Amino acid sequence: MRTDAVCDVFLVGVGGQGLLTIGELLAETAVALGIPVHFYPYKGMAQRGGLVKAQLRLGRETVGPNIPPNGADVVIAMEVSEALRAVRMLRPGGEFLLFGERWLPTAVLLGKAPYPATEAVLERVAAAGGRPVYIPPDTLPADARGPLPANIFVLGAAMGHTHLGEVIPVAAVEEAIRQRWPRAPERNLAAFRAGVMGIRNELHELHEFYYSDNS
Amino acid sequence: MSYRKLLTGNEALALGALHAGARVIAGYPGTPSTGAIESLLALSPPGVPVEWSTNEKVALEIAAGAAWVGQRALCTMKMSGLNVASDSLYSIAYSGVVGGLVVYVADDPGVSAGMCEQDSRGFALLADLPLIDPPSVAEAYRLTRLAFDLSEAVGSPVLVRLTTAIAHSSAPVEVEDGEPSPAREPQLLRDIARFTKAGAAICMQQHRDLIARLEEAGRWIRRAGLNELRLAPRRGGLGIVAGGVVNAYLQEGLAIATRFGLEKETVSTLAVRAPHPFPAEEARALLEHVETVLVLEELEPHLERGVYVEAQRLGFRGRIVGKLDGTLSRVGDYDVSHVVRGIAAAAGLSIPPDLFTPRTDAEILVAPRPITVCPGCPHRGTFLAINQAIRRLRYKRDEVVVTGDIGCTILGMNPPFETVWNEVSMGASIGLAQGYVHGGVKTPIIATIGDSTFFHAGIPALINAIQYQVPLTVIVMDNGWTAMTGMQFNPGTDEAQQPPGNRRVDLERLIPALGVEHFFVVDPFRLEETSAVIQKALTLPGVKVILARQECAIQAGRRGLRAGPMPVVTENCNLCKLCVMLTGCPAIELGPERVVIDPALCYGCGLCAQVCRRGGLAYERAGGRRGGGAEERRGGGAEERRSRGAEGRRSRGAEEQRSGGEGAL
Repeated sequence: MRTDAVCDVFLVGVGGQGLLTIGELLAETAVALGIPVHFYPYKGMAQRGGLVKAQLRLGRETVGPNIPPNGADVVIAMEVSEALRAVRMLRPGGEFLLFGERWLPTAVLLGKAPYPATEAVLERVAAAGGRPVYIPPDTLPADARGPLPANIFVLGAAMGHTHLGEVIPVAAVEEAIRQRWPRAPERNLAAFRAGVMGIRNELHELHEFYYSDNS
Repeated sequence: MSYRKLLTGNEALALGALHAGARVIAGYPGTPSTGAIESLLALSPPGVPVEWSTNEKVALEIAAGAAWVGQRALCTMKMSGLNVASDSLYSIAYSGVVGGLVVYVADDPGVSAGMCEQDSRGFALLADLPLIDPPSVAEAYRLTRLAFDLSEAVGSPVLVRLTTAIAHSSAPVEVEDGEPSPAREPQLLRDIARFTKAGAAICMQQHRDLIARLEEAGRWIRRAGLNELRLAPRRGGLGIVAGGVVNAYLQEGLAIATRFGLEKETVSTLAVRAPHPFPAEEARALLEHVETVLVLEELEPHLERGVYVEAQRLGFRGRIVGKLDGTLSRVGDYDVSHVVRGIAAAAGLSIPPDLFTPRTDAEILVAPRPITVCPGCPHRGTFLAINQAIRRLRYKRDEVVVTGDIGCTILGMNPPFETVWNEVSMGASIGLAQGYVHGGVKTPIIATIGDSTFFHAGIPALINAIQYQVPLTVIVMDNGWTAMTGMQFNPGTDEAQQPPGNRRVDLERLIPALGVEHFFVVDPFRLEETSAVIQKALTLPGVKVILARQECAIQAGRRGLRAGPMPVVTENCNLCKLCVMLTGCPAIELGPERVVIDPALCYGCGLCAQVCRRGGLAYERAGGRRGGGAEERRGGGAEERRSRGAEGRRSRGAEEQRSGGEGAL
């Protein structure tokens, strides 16, 4: 654990995915650990389906809300097309975690606009000097009630597969999850742990390719 | 007792006001300021009235009235709201205050919410009011408390300005939760010379007093050390003047610049937390110490101009780097790259050009995602009906002007509707529409406006149209909530959904009472009827008002309500996609052979079934014909108030729309 470490995290996705909850949990964890933190969410205007992004800056006592271009140490992206917006934010050598969910805009659904291939997104990340970590959406575990919360799964994946896990301990995030849902943390904890642990063995070949190439 | 807590800038400011003893709090919702009053409403502090007022001007007058009887009062708004409140602001500034009055205004550099990048520091200049510009979330708490002391010490309202990046951000705040300040007995001061504007002598004396108060505020701010000057041990170096949030990037920026040859020990800084009145003494001390001055501030070069004035007074021979020499931009919010670019220009450093220049070959591939209305949004029905009515009257879409207004109703500008033409300010749709008529447009003119916006500033414009009998059709899209800013109640919100004791102002009674001859109430979920009414209104003379009434689906959904059952996709569906094309409803997906409706998203509005031409979607609305549908109401016939959205809607129990891990977005 490196509580003195500075880490800038850029999050991107669409409304309804629970992306901001990831940032809030990390911010709450940081406060509990006494790590300086600044969390700046951007919700846009949409309740659901619009662009959502957030900036989490860990480890600096005095820090401005915005991460500069080429400045993010870690990107967490939950939507394939919107992930492209985060490439400009990634530091060369930074880690780019992409959960491969696709939320198709209406124009794409109608065949009037193109939608980027996941491979193209990962290629652009690599071209920008980033280290892609790809999580296929079908690796999201399910239980009898249906798929586990994807955002908490992605949070787990970020903790387990980027250096965020060295800045903030996994156990502290679990504690923040328990604090947030004190009555029924089980499904969220299951999703989180699956994200931390379960991915490496179930990785899509794309991820195998980039991960082995860059790490 | 003091403790550390994760707060947003809005929460920190609100809590700061509360802990400073604010006893009256009023505002109007507006991104990014909304969270301040939201957090206070959630706290509902005993004995402290907290309200969403009809508009910002009303809110300011309420707060000022309270301050004139000696209470501490807070008023909140976004920058656009300060325009609305400004008429009273100048006048109240002339009179001064007895109790502390803090006006919180939130600016939005970088435009997170779609409005002008207005710099409210300019208002402080116009109104001769002190303004505090906290550079961080933690300082938003501390400096708001201090702002009340300043306000009372000099007898002037004080502006506290946050920007989006602070208002919306969360950071740990040191909260001092002391004893609640004792309640003050209201004092009644009848002082014509102070509280009226009756005559030149009174007004000019008030102007002199105002200037004196501002000067006193400057001395108070200086004693409190709000503007922090740190002179480098050596003379002749670089002096950096940083305003507000930019101060938070200084350390990071200096560290980077040091890597490229900046000698940190030659750098002096002036951290400005109170830009108005301009900290002239500190600026002069800086100018006398350094060779080059760099001014870092978002938006307009207010501080920079102040530096130029002091430089002229001193005969400063060095360079001043900032916006006026073209180094930095007046557009957008800043990050550390702006700080580094400024330092490089001022200190002559050479920074690798690609340091902050991102690759842009990724974002060009992003699939455009225009914002549309939510599943079940009643505005969807209104936009579809407007388009259909225009088509059926055999007009082309670009022949019928549909003026737009602020709030969710503006989403009609986007695909798939592309109904709305323009957006100016709260209530402007109705005035603009009259201008189009007077300007000689012969085709029908439609104005669209939401309920809260209509209450806020639409009513005077409608009265004007009635007085001059300007032929136009006003469609008030009444979803019962101030929705775009995150669901605040407004005067028209169902009483049961408002704080206890509030009374609802029913638009169905108010509008005809103004003397509107042709007044219709429609249910936008009934497409044919709504479209027929709009079509009829467009052919009638005079002022027509259509009240399209159906509760916001998000709010109704939170109470477990649905407009009706989910449509059933039948074998007639041949995947022609017309329903997606026309409604753009996010609840409709494409299956291999037919469309699929997402039961978690569908609100049962039935609009998709109503636009389908081949019976591909079977839908029968529960409850049959709704009484309120498509009828013309003449005159001001008072009817019984009805509870909103009760008819034609059956509860299906609260369906869980979100998985456990997702927060309230």
